[in-house]
Amino acid sequence: MTPRPWLHGFLDLCLLAMLRERPDYGYGLAQRLAAAGVADIPGGTLYPALLRLEQQGLASPSWAPSESGPRRKYYEITPAGLAALQAQAAEWRAFRDGVDLLIGAPVR
Amino acid sequence: MNWPQRFEAELVRLGVQPVVARRLTADTAAQAGEHDADPDGFFGPAHLYARHLVAELQTPAAGTAPERCVPGQVMLQLSGVGKRYRRRAVFSGVDLTVRGGEVAAIVGANGCGKSTLLRICAGLTPPSCGTVHRTRRVGFVPQDGGTAGWLTAEEHFTLFGAAAGMVPRKAISTGTHLASLLAWRPSRVQPVQELSGGTRQKLNLVLGELHGPDLLLLDEPYQGFDQGSYLDFWRQVRSWRDAGRAVVVVTHLLHELQNVDHVLDLGAVAGRVA
Repeated sequence: MTPRPWLHGFLDLCLLAMLRERPDYGYGLAQRLAAAGVADIPGGTLYPALLRLEQQGLASPSWAPSESGPRRKYYEITPAGLAALQAQAAEWRAFRDGVDLLIGAPVR
Repeated sequence: MNWPQRFEAELVRLGVQPVVARRLTADTAAQAGEHDADPDGFFGPAHLYARHLVAELQTPAAGTAPERCVPGQVMLQLSGVGKRYRRRAVFSGVDLTVRGGEVAAIVGANGCGKSTLLRICAGLTPPSCGTVHRTRRVGFVPQDGGTAGWLTAEEHFTLFGAAAGMVPRKAISTGTHLASLLAWRPSRVQPVQELSGGTRQKLNLVLGELHGPDLLLLDEPYQGFDQGSYLDFWRQVRSWRDAGRAVVVVTHLLHELQNVDHVLDLGAVAGRVA
């Protein structure tokens, strides 16, 4: 898996992208990131990032009960979050294209 | 006090409004619950996660304009500081002010007195002239030495923690967590003399930070670090800065200087004297 320093700049982007698909809570998002092969993200990195999105009005939280265990805090993307997602996705694509260009033909 | 109480108390101590601290504490407990984990194992020691969270919440999200926190109160102030050995002036007329939330680098050629100046900052060496004002809680990390070869890392944590009034359990959990930020898991039985030079430097760094000082004085503390540890180190420096601490680091690596607020070129100062 990608080492964490790489993810750091794009964690917000990944979280917003997953929330655009559907509202989710922390544990679910961690599972989806791992399943996508992006990162095995520690809680001490994930939850502060979610709180930051909430604080900046990019995601809005709501509490929901769970069938097992304590209630969960679900995050839903806001219009401001969608705009941020769009801007960051464009940045990511430019970055990715630049790196691809530098790497050149697929390495065998 | 249990973990959530310690966490909430530390948030309040760091200046978070009590209502917000209460909400963050409830959130954090629920988050550990989602993973069916206890918060101590999941987030690490309460006071450290509180500091981390506060620093993270002050960091702007990627894509928004970076805004640095406003420099805080003065943690270190040197005015007209000089040092001479007999009749030979090593440096003179050094002025430096470092506030909370700032990083200063001391650079210069070998032998220009960088380590001596840092010891003056720490109050371990008296200056020949000039004045030094510093905050009360200071962490000093020498280039090497300062550890006892026959003791283990945990015994160092306990010993240095006791000097700062920490109970052994808290000193060990804090030390272990700080070590993990440098990708080091201390062995419980290995005496320090069996560690590599780079790992001993990590121990020095952890010991300097153990008591949560407001001013950190570091003398090229990354000697012998591999590339990953080196990056971890500079990330730590940024997180100390973002948590409102003042950092002074002696370095000869010029490419790191773009990340610091003040650069004191001691070679240039000494040259002016000569």
